[in-house]
Amino acid sequence: MLLAYCFFILPAQAERGAIMEKIIELKNISKSFDGETVLDHISLDIYDNEFITLLGPSGCGKTTLLRMIGGFANPDEGDILFMGERLNDTPPHKRNVNTVFQKYALFPHLNVFENVAFPLRERGVKKAEIKEQVMKMLSLVMLEGFAERSVTSLSGGQQQRVAIARALINHPKVLLLDEPLGALDLKLRKDMQQELKKIQKSTGITFVFVTHDQEEALSMSDTIVVLSEGRIQQIGTPTDIYNEPVNAFVADFIGESNILDGVMPENFKARFSGHTFSCLDKDFAPGEPVDVVVRPEDVDIVPKDEGMLSGVVTQVTFMGVHNEIIVDIGGFKWMIQTTESVNVGEHIGISLDPDAIHIMKKSKYSGVFGDYSSYSNELDELSDPGGEE
Amino acid sequence: MKWSSKLYTTLIFIFLFAPIVILLVFSFNEAKSLSVFSGFSFRWYEELFSDEATLESLKNSLILALSATVISTVMGTVAALGIYRLRKKWYRALLNTVTNIPMINPDIITGISMMLLFVFVGRMFSASTSLNFWTMLIAHVTFCLPYVIFQVLPKLNQMDGDLMEAAQDLGCTPFRAFFKVTLPEILPGIITGAIMAFTLSLDDFVISYFTSGNDFQTLPIRIYGMTKKTVTPKMYALATIIFFVTLALLLLNNLVDNDDSRKLREKKKKSKAELLEE
Repeated sequence: MLLAYCFFILPAQAERGAIMEKIIELKNISKSFDGETVLDHISLDIYDNEFITLLGPSGCGKTTLLRMIGGFANPDEGDILFMGERLNDTPPHKRNVNTVFQKYALFPHLNVFENVAFPLRERGVKKAEIKEQVMKMLSLVMLEGFAERSVTSLSGGQQQRVAIARALINHPKVLLLDEPLGALDLKLRKDMQQELKKIQKSTGITFVFVTHDQEEALSMSDTIVVLSEGRIQQIGTPTDIYNEPVNAFVADFIGESNILDGVMPENFKARFSGHTFSCLDKDFAPGEPVDVVVRPEDVDIVPKDEGMLSGVVTQVTFMGVHNEIIVDIGGFKWMIQTTESVNVGEHIGISLDPDAIHIMKKSKYSGVFGDYSSYSNELDELSDPGGEE
Repeated sequence: MKWSSKLYTTLIFIFLFAPIVILLVFSFNEAKSLSVFSGFSFRWYEELFSDEATLESLKNSLILALSATVISTVMGTVAALGIYRLRKKWYRALLNTVTNIPMINPDIITGISMMLLFVFVGRMFSASTSLNFWTMLIAHVTFCLPYVIFQVLPKLNQMDGDLMEAAQDLGCTPFRAFFKVTLPEILPGIITGAIMAFTLSLDDFVISYFTSGNDFQTLPIRIYGMTKKTVTPKMYALATIIFFVTLALLLLNNLVDNDDSRKLREKKKKSKAELLEE
């Protein structure tokens, strides 16, 4: 038994913190505002040293969840545990958690030094020590020369860094970040992503990061929690979430996806668009209706006659590293990313490797996402159903 | 500037300041005459400072104005905070309107209604005199209050709403967070409100006239009483002093305000620079 445990269960769990310590446990959290459910029975464990991202569209409840951990909102139902102790009724100033606010919330009447020193002064730390700690923190966020500057004279990126320094100076167990990069422009945002990741690694503090930007989530996180309509859709590593989305919502929200209606006639076989494909998925009931996900970069373009499916190119967009093309296959518009050059109107075949196909159970999100019709310029022009053999 | 607009500006300034200049000049007149300036002297200033009753009423006015200012500033700030935290928009609009009523209401109406209230309540407790310092103070606080709210509320609305939460997040109790973060942010509004309350209270005649008793006279009431006989030039002297004190307060107020708008300009400049830089 023990041996079996070691071999089979440990490796699976080690991926997400069987050895690591749970810092925060959310147990069955529900919350509604004015009769509208914002969080619907959320349970989530957050581990020490983890960079965890709450990802979802606006209104999915991610910010409310963050505010609950910070102490600025109370759950109607359920418990928040901090290192095993119930935290629900602890006021914000007594929590070992700090927040980086969306618009930074720096104190305008204090300079950079005093903003960062604020939490230390509140705790009554000695003057000399304050100076030392603040300077150390300012160098961590690369703002050494800015101590005496007024915070209102700083750029957005610099203000962001002051906010991070101020939130980190108490060495909280957990740092909460509420869309902290939302107000920055693209290039600065990319730089700050790297920097945040670096700071998280070097301090070892657990980061709980809220964003609606899936790219940001994929590039920074150890763990992503995908939320929609107050419910957790999926928890996993970025690769898990991208390669094996659990439903059409996740597949659509994370990256680009072609989501097709299909059935599983037997294990390792999937039938959609009038063709039966080999795949790597099993454990579905024979003949079970499923959603099939094919990522645009996993589709191979082949000559028309050699393809498993074939269709007409309706749109080509040059994206730099690749071309993004829309292909009409039996009335369903596929998005394909390819380095080959094809022309609008060209008849092409496509081929899918077994590992390009990912099968998902049907959900309430089935049929809502995954068709690229709106991308096409020629909506009503249906080509001949090339998929039929 | 074209000559026409220069002329226009000059006219306006003459219109505004001619009375004050005349007052100022004749307060230094040796004779009592208003038509002949017979020589420069401090005679009326000397007489003023030896007029016990007038000085007493000046002292009364200052005591009343200071008390009314302190009370209305504290109450007004707290009220503004309350209104700011209201979630329901219609409720906030309603409260705003109600608090503004004393500001729009003609003084004479406020004065009469206040007097009626005080006499009515006095009768209920069968007090011998119902009008005194305290009734005046209540009346002054009442009409100063909306001006304070009016100055503080915009400062609260300008403030980043996350600041209070940030302070609590960083270790302050909500009470302490107010003094550490909110108060410094809204202080310019509070100071402006306090200065306005002070000048309004010092200057008020109509409401004071209705709510004052015999044992507590303010300066405006005393001056009014003197006009029934003759106004001696020592009143010009007093008016001149009051004018300069008020002017000083106004300048101080503008200084506070300028500091504020300078910060705002800096902010704008900075965000522009940021756009260029990024």
